[in-house]
Amino acid sequence: MESKSKRPLMSRSHLPMVILAGVLIVYGLATVAVGSWLSTRAMQGQMTVSAYRSQLATFEQGAGLVAGILLLVLFVACAAGSRGLVRVAFAIGAVAALGPALVGRAEGLLFGTLGLPTMSAGSVISAAVTVLLFALPLTILFVLFALGRRNPRAIRWLSLFLVFLVLATALFPVYVTVLAFLLKPGDPGVGAMMDVSSRVMQLRFILPGLGFLILALLSIRFARRGGGQ
Amino acid sequence: MTRRNRHPRRTGSAVRFLPFVALAAVLAMVSTACGRATLTATPAPVGSSGAFDDLDLIAPDRYDPPITMDSVIAVDATVKFLGDDDIHNNVWMRAYAEMLGIDLNYTWVVDGSMYDQKLSLSINSGDIPDMFPVNGTQFAMLHEAGLLADLTDVYAAEASETTRDILTQDPVALKAATIDDRLYGIPLTDASIASAPLLWVRQDWMDRLEIAPPTNMADVLEISRRFAADDPDGNGQADTIGLAVTKDLWGPVASLTGFFNGHHAYPGIWFERDGKLVYGSVQPEMRAALAALQQMYADGQIDPEFGVKDINKVTETIAQGKVGMEFGVWWNPYHPLYLSQQNEPDAFWTPFAIPSVDATPARSQYSSAVGAFLVVGSHYEHPEALIRMVNFWTDNMVRTQDDRIRQTFLGDINAPDVVLYKYTPIQIWEPNGMLTTGRLLREALAKRDPSGLNLDAQWRYRIIQAYFEQGTKEAWVEVATNGPDGAAVILERIADDLGVINRFYGVPTPTMVEKRAALELQEVEMITKVIMGDPLERFDTFASDWHRTGGDAITDEVNSWYAQNR
Repeated sequence: MESKSKRPLMSRSHLPMVILAGVLIVYGLATVAVGSWLSTRAMQGQMTVSAYRSQLATFEQGAGLVAGILLLVLFVACAAGSRGLVRVAFAIGAVAALGPALVGRAEGLLFGTLGLPTMSAGSVISAAVTVLLFALPLTILFVLFALGRRNPRAIRWLSLFLVFLVLATALFPVYVTVLAFLLKPGDPGVGAMMDVSSRVMQLRFILPGLGFLILALLSIRFARRGGGQ
Repeated sequence: MTRRNRHPRRTGSAVRFLPFVALAAVLAMVSTACGRATLTATPAPVGSSGAFDDLDLIAPDRYDPPITMDSVIAVDATVKFLGDDDIHNNVWMRAYAEMLGIDLNYTWVVDGSMYDQKLSLSINSGDIPDMFPVNGTQFAMLHEAGLLADLTDVYAAEASETTRDILTQDPVALKAATIDDRLYGIPLTDASIASAPLLWVRQDWMDRLEIAPPTNMADVLEISRRFAADDPDGNGQADTIGLAVTKDLWGPVASLTGFFNGHHAYPGIWFERDGKLVYGSVQPEMRAALAALQQMYADGQIDPEFGVKDINKVTETIAQGKVGMEFGVWWNPYHPLYLSQQNEPDAFWTPFAIPSVDATPARSQYSSAVGAFLVVGSHYEHPEALIRMVNFWTDNMVRTQDDRIRQTFLGDINAPDVVLYKYTPIQIWEPNGMLTTGRLLREALAKRDPSGLNLDAQWRYRIIQAYFEQGTKEAWVEVATNGPDGAAVILERIADDLGVINRFYGVPTPTMVEKRAALELQEVEMITKVIMGDPLERFDTFASDWHRTGGDAITDEVNSWYAQNR
């Protein structure tokens, strides 16, 4: 059986993909930095809980909207600059732009506009929805990358790894929160998981961003070596 | 370039499908892990032979040969046991026998609601247990009859440092168990300060209406007015009220105690004025508070049906998100305030120290939490055994950070409905425990280092961390109680210098026993009627009637007691 010839992810420039990675990394880092700064001040009693919530919401809504729009544009640009299954993957990945845009807005949308029941876990539900809106399209994107027989082998393996990484960073904090607040409150074992969960949450946007960056670099290297010629 | 060219030895369908086989395998593992994590294990009961050898327990001197001790206990139907255990054979009975050489034997076991009646029957029939818990009235009656052992000397000789520390944290605890300078009981202490009232306000409503935090009673009235008039829930309907009040007026939830305290009135307690104890509910400061409440009611800031709404009905109102303020106690976020989030995920409440009506800081009133005592019958020849059992509890349980000890003697997280310490009548809690925990917790939060906290505090730390670092808004409950500006901070200030403790902690006086119920009923009726519009003079009438119909006699008796116990 004859294998199909390999080609890089992008037909022309890899710049949209590199910028896409950069936006995810910068947004992730900014979220971590601002969140840590605000939470430290609040935990040290330097600002009230009310001020903390207000300032965090303002940042999340503003930064999330900007990041969401940028991601949407960049995913579309990536789709436009690619072919076949990769194009389909980027097009599906564009849905992930909803994730950052919905941070800070999901509760109002779900429980205010749509009138869904909060089940006394409104923030957990809205966080889960936001995370899934971000993670599921990316998961599908990376699955398609892994499936793409025209993609270089290294890109396929890395994509497969990224599938697990994205799922883990998305689902683990939700799983731990459900354990901590609903299933096993007070369990010291869950307490240790909560520590890990905090760190994992900080990597939610950074790791996929790094993944895209490495994928882009692998694809660029493949193209420079004459791949797809 | 083809795969064959780059990796000539790795061709074929197995390699092509390897990524998907791996994907399926990992998904299966994740699924299995999730399923396993939801299972709970039931801890095995501790055996009777050498079961405590591997625990780092501090044990008092062991009786050899063992002694027997007859006791009695109240056990509700909800109390559950592990394995073949029952109330006569459980971890506590085995520990007392093995570690202390005390064979504890419950001669009868009843439901908590029947305990007082059953104990009275036992006492009347001359069947006095060796060691047993009693309430204040029974304590006085048994002492009067000479049926209680004097514990003064055995306490001095046997009480451990931890026991002494815990029992002296509440300044009235040991005094309440002392008659004529002799100790006749061990007070079952708890956190007295926990009953001090605080003001709880819907912070999200204040933010939405851009209202500044209250600094005085005028602010409270203004916040209440705006909560009732300015549609804080944003539904376009005038369906909110300012202040929650139950028909009972007092209690831990939606009480008026804090409101009166803000006016320097202290209903229901005895405090010192001009060297004498006076009853707070009949003091002139009550009048101004009543006038303010009357106005709030007339303006629709208090539920027009509050006079018939008990705590359950008020809880429903809170859950529906229709009320924005209540005077309650520190733990109210755990219940019922958390229910506000049922409909509004953004809902959260902030605690405030009771604001004052004038420039003098308001003081929150509270009473000693000592409501019961452990006593030893005067016939029993080993009164020191009680002190040893108390030491075993205080030295090993109250401050333990050892998870195995907690699981063995108090309860296991995997079997939350099995509360092991309910098998022993010796349950003494640290009066200042919550303040200490709160302080350590805040220090850990500031340093972001929970390593020095005990297990319970570590869990609270992580819940607060989840609020600030993971956006879990449901964790506001822990933030509001033990967080940086939480209720525990306010309680510390109350304990320092912003509290008024009920100075009468003795057993009810004879006239009190006879008249108190009726007088309290009249008091609640008067306050309710005045709030609903009766003239303020009704308070004056009530005050003079109170003095005339038994209040003066009670005041004389209370002050006689105070002269001996101040």
